Amino acid sequence: MNQRPIDDLARNAFVDGQLDAAQRQAMEAYLQAHPEQAQELAAWQRDAQQLRQAAGQDSLPPNPALDPAAIRARLRARTRRRLAMAGSLAAALAVGGVAGWGAHDSALAYRVLPMQDAVQAYRLFASDHAPQPDVRADAGNLQSWLDDYFAHAQRLPDLSASGFKPVAARLLATDQGPAAIVIYENAGQRASFYIRPPGPDKQMLAQGSRRDGRLLARYWSGQGYNYALVGAGDGIADAPLPAPAQAPS
Amino acid sequence: MIRPLRSPPPEPVSSEDDAIQTEELSDAVLRVLLPRLRRFALRLTCDPASADDLVQATLERALTRWHSRRPQGSVRAWLFTILYRQFLDSQRRSRRYARLLEWFAGADSAAPSAERQALARSSLDTFERLPEAQRTLLWLVSVEGLSYKAVADLFDIPPGTVMSRLSRARRALRGLNEGQAGVAHLRILK
Repeated sequence: MNQRPIDDLARNAFVDGQLDAAQRQAMEAYLQAHPEQAQELAAWQRDAQQLRQAAGQDSLPPNPALDPAAIRARLRARTRRRLAMAGSLAAALAVGGVAGWGAHDSALAYRVLPMQDAVQAYRLFASDHAPQPDVRADAGNLQSWLDDYFAHAQRLPDLSASGFKPVAARLLATDQGPAAIVIYENAGQRASFYIRPPGPDKQMLAQGSRRDGRLLARYWSGQGYNYALVGAGDGIADAPLPAPAQAPS
Repeated sequence: MIRPLRSPPPEPVSSEDDAIQTEELSDAVLRVLLPRLRRFALRLTCDPASADDLVQATLERALTRWHSRRPQGSVRAWLFTILYRQFLDSQRRSRRYARLLEWFAGADSAAPSAERQALARSSLDTFERLPEAQRTLLWLVSVEGLSYKAVADLFDIPPGTVMSRLSRARRALRGLNEGQAGVAHLRILK
């Protein structure tokens, strides 16, 4: 009776009461013919039963620290602590950043948020409560007005592919000298072209773009100035920028 | 003495807990399962304080992981699996720590604690002498009544392997129990 016509699944399922009625009947019939195996499985069942009885005697005193409500409260407190720690870390980084800015290179700050003043200027001048522009497109040629202040700068970008036309411009001041914003309009939307002298240390910008909320800012440098195109959504995303090597007219 | 094969009292834990279908891992569900988790943790660690630490770590993990849980399977099996994995991790850590201590102190820092020895002398004497994996397997199947599938997932082994390991563990426990019975018998004869 060394052969094992029943497999481990059947044996264990029988011991654990996992067989359905038909399977159990077949198994019992088999075990009747194989008393040795019947004895073994009966012993397994006794062992399991003994284990369950002993387990029933295991008792641990109540531990209020393990109550789910207490666990949740601790998790929340931990999250708060981590947030506070992250906050103080961010503050430390900011302090370090400001100190590093002063100590090292102010251009670093521009690299973090290039042409932030262009974005702010857009917010101011593209809003419905924009200040009066210095010059309107119907009152004079914006390009020649711009040339009076930025003689060697790149030409105004041509945004006509997305329907934008320059409509107004205004002169602004920065630490490094005059800057200007030119407002473009198409049917219902505004975009802006911003020109300014490079920041301290004559920091020039690699061509790039960044998003600020729903605004897209594209920026580049050339002819001794920094430029930015700012617009809501993707209206200006594909507009061709002036070629960097373009000579002033 | 051979008892009848059918319906041995007490029954393994029925799978009614497995029917718990829950969107939230509610406190009520956890409170129902908490005693089982603590009992299992005590079996694993053989130390009440470590057991509760293990259960606490398990509940914290469960509460933070609940939303990334795969929807199928029972909540109970899921919690047991987290607990067991946490236990294995802590074992690994403490083994490393023990090696480190030995390195520095040359002491046998892995000596069993008094509590551990007391527990081992309890009614489950022979059971305690089984290797950890066999003990866990027998406990989950016989006491907790976890499904073979859930146990296979917990150990991360194929279902067929569960069955052969289960047979082996039961034979090993039987062997120990018979050995002890033999010893007791001899003592009585003296």
